[in-house]
Amino acid sequence: MGIETWPDVDLGRRAFQRALWYSAGNLLGDAGSADAGLKLLSFSCSGGSGEAVVRVRRGHVEEARAAIACVGAIEGDPVGIRIRGISGTVRACEERYMRRAAGSSTQRDVAFGDAERPAVVREDAYDVRAGSEYVGAAAFDIE
Amino acid sequence: MYEAVHAYPDGDATVARQAMTAARYGYDGIVVRTRAALESGDGDETGDENAPMTDPAAIADEYGVDVVDAVEIDADGPTAASGAVGNRRADHAVVCVVGGDDRLNRYAVEEPRVDVLARPNAGGGGFNHVLAKAARDNEVHVEFDLGPVLRETGGDRVRALADLRKLREIVTYYDAPHVVSTNAGSHLELRAPRELVAVAAEAGFDPEWIREGLRAWGSIAARNRERLSGDFIEPGVRRGRYETER
Repeated sequence: MGIETWPDVDLGRRAFQRALWYSAGNLLGDAGSADAGLKLLSFSCSGGSGEAVVRVRRGHVEEARAAIACVGAIEGDPVGIRIRGISGTVRACEERYMRRAAGSSTQRDVAFGDAERPAVVREDAYDVRAGSEYVGAAAFDIE
Repeated sequence: MYEAVHAYPDGDATVARQAMTAARYGYDGIVVRTRAALESGDGDETGDENAPMTDPAAIADEYGVDVVDAVEIDADGPTAASGAVGNRRADHAVVCVVGGDDRLNRYAVEEPRVDVLARPNAGGGGFNHVLAKAARDNEVHVEFDLGPVLRETGGDRVRALADLRKLREIVTYYDAPHVVSTNAGSHLELRAPRELVAVAAEAGFDPEWIREGLRAWGSIAARNRERLSGDFIEPGVRRGRYETER
C-alpha cells in the first residue's frame, strides 16, 4: 500500500504497525483482528511519502482492507493510505505494486496565496507551509 | 463514483490536490463543497494570480476527473438557510444544507431546491419517518457521512455507527435518496472507493448501496448542470434546434 502524510511527520515502523493493530482491534474486535492477522512485512516512509507491505490471512482481505482504511492518524498526524493491490506472494507484490519508491523531495519557495512560502515538492505534489500548518497543493496551483 | 470534499481555504488541501488524489484513487470526480474554493461567478474573485487554481474546468482537464462546483450552507436556522439557498441555487451545481438540528433537517428535506442534506446526525438532530418521506417526495438526498467511522475512535465512533445504522433503516424503508461521503478535509483524509465499501460492509451496509451513494453525486451534478444551462426550460422542454431527421 501507499502512504502519504505531511512532510514534517516522522513515521516509524513500530508506530505504523501499532496503528494497524489498534485499528483492526477497534473495528473488527479481538477475534476478528486475530482472524485477519495483519502483519507489517516491510515499511519505508520519509518526507511525507512511503509504502508498506502487509500480510493478511487468506479469505480475510475485505476485513483487513476496512481496518487499514480506518487508520486515519498515527500519533496524532493524519495519514492518507491507499491499498495499491493484493497478491499471493510478497515477491509478486513487490514487483507489481512497489515500483514507485518514494520520490525524492526537494525544498523550495513558491508563490502561494499572498506570499512566498516554503514548500516541500515531491513530483506534482506541493506541501506548502502556511503558518504552523501545511496546505496540500499541486503543481497546477503553483504555475 | 464521486466524493464530496472540502478544499482550501476550508480544508487543508487545494482543489487541484484533491482532484489529483481522487484521480489516483479511481474516482470519476469530486464535488467541492467549499464555496470559496472555486470561482462560480458570484463576484468573490480576489484577482490574486498566485492564489490556488479555482477554475473547475481547467482542473478537470488537467487531472481527468470531473470537478463539480457545489456549496455547503451552514446556517443557524431555517430562515438564514432559506435565504442562502435562494442566493446560491442559480450559481452552483450542487447545493447542500448542513443539518444537525431538528429544524434545519426538517427545512432541508422540505425544500426541493436543496440537493443534499449533509451530516444530518452531526449535532443533536434526529432523523425520523416524517423527514424520510419528505426527503423522498422532494428528492433531497440524505448524506451518510462515513468520516467519523474512519477518523474517530472509541465512543464517538460507536455513536456515529449507531446513528448511521438508524439513519439507514429509516432511509431505506421509505426509499429516500441517499449519498455517501467521507467529508474529507484534505487529500490525506480521502480513501479509495473500494476501501470505503469495505469499511461500510463491516458496519453492516450493503456494498452496492454504498456505491450507489457515491454515484448519486454524479447524477445530481449532471441533472443540475443541465437545468442550469441556458437551454433548459422545464423537464422535457429545452430550447434548441428542431430535429431535422427522424
